[in-house]
Amino acid sequence: MSDQQSRLQSSSIPLNEAEVDRRKRIVDLSGEDISRIVTLRNMVAEHTSRYVDAFFRHLDDLGEAPALFGKREVLEEAKRRKREHLAAMTAAQYDRNYVEQRVALALLYSRHGVSTPVFLGAFHHLLRALGNDIMKSVKDPNDAFQRFISLKKVAFFDIGIMTDVLISERERTINLQQDAIRELSTPVLQIREGLLILPIIGMIDSQRAKQLTDGLLRSIRANRARMVVMDITGVAAVDSKVANHLIQTIAAARLMGSTVIVTGLSADVAQALVALGVDLGKISTTGDLQSGLEEAERMLGYRVVRTNETTGPRLSA
Amino acid sequence: MAIPILKQGDVLIASLQAAPTDQDLIQLKDELAERIGHFRSRIVAIDVSALDVMDSFATRTLRSIAHATKLRGANTVIVGIQPDVAFAMVQLGLTLDGIETALDLDEGLALMRAQPDGGASGDR
Repeated sequence: MSDQQSRLQSSSIPLNEAEVDRRKRIVDLSGEDISRIVTLRNMVAEHTSRYVDAFFRHLDDLGEAPALFGKREVLEEAKRRKREHLAAMTAAQYDRNYVEQRVALALLYSRHGVSTPVFLGAFHHLLRALGNDIMKSVKDPNDAFQRFISLKKVAFFDIGIMTDVLISERERTINLQQDAIRELSTPVLQIREGLLILPIIGMIDSQRAKQLTDGLLRSIRANRARMVVMDITGVAAVDSKVANHLIQTIAAARLMGSTVIVTGLSADVAQALVALGVDLGKISTTGDLQSGLEEAERMLGYRVVRTNETTGPRLSA
Repeated sequence: MAIPILKQGDVLIASLQAAPTDQDLIQLKDELAERIGHFRSRIVAIDVSALDVMDSFATRTLRSIAHATKLRGANTVIVGIQPDVAFAMVQLGLTLDGIETALDLDEGLALMRAQPDGGASGDR
């Protein structure tokens, strides 16, 4: 619950009076509508449980929101909020508080896998049930229709808010995932004091190139690195833009007092770079990661000595 | 405000403060060239870690300091270029080719001492 309250604030839907008024104007909700809706109050209150049950039965029948029905307390929470919703809908106080309740319900749906079309379908199902009852309880069909239309304006008001939340939550999830992928894709690792390796795998687009440079230069400072081995074995293709960016990164690393060795240029990449006419004079390269590391260790003054001890059954076998 | 120049053994250290004016830089260049001869210094270290921007004039002045000190018998190392500054410089084509650079003063002095002429004279 407290989680929900805190999440409410971080939602991207602005919750101020001006926004509420704007949304009311959009659905053309007038005072006349509100007075019609208030007349439905008793009828809705009488049948609330039936509407709520029908709403969730419809969702369950669709089988589109299993996560919502998987946990008992979640379902209870959703039902409670739905009951509140029906009461608030006919209470005709469409203010900030009302909008906040709609946002909270939409967040609950979005977290438990109710998609926008499923939500719209279930909402329509609910409206149909309400409409049927209005037609039955009000004698004059014209009057009944007017009342139903007024109620429908509020429904569209709600739908506007809730779909906004559902969509923005989905965008937020996508952004989070993209950030995570970006974070993962360019690790800078220290393997000896003063020696970093930067394995680059996959495609390099301009955004990733920027992040790569940023990460490398910051790591150089944080780890006090004097040598960097940049391994591009996992890069299938290099165009002039990427090549240029790599060269700029190497030059920037040099300005910070660090030397970069590029390793693992494949035959294709090497030929492509030559064909592009990239000035490679200032870059030191070695064929593979191993020789790059050996070169870097030599320049840092490390010497790797193999001891004569047996190195265990697995290696000697 | 003039840029302070510190003397430590055979090393002269100039520490640039935030946003030096062109006049400051020119004055630094003149003073360094003067003092190298006076103190018989072998190494000049210029610390730019306080700068968050490095324009072409500053870069050109540092380059001419490096060249002038070379002619006066000392070596120059530029230390403490920040990551953002480094990348911005490269994008502007200001790569300080042929001039020694290091992460900070410690590294810079270690680097210069390790060099044949810098180290040999330092031990003397």
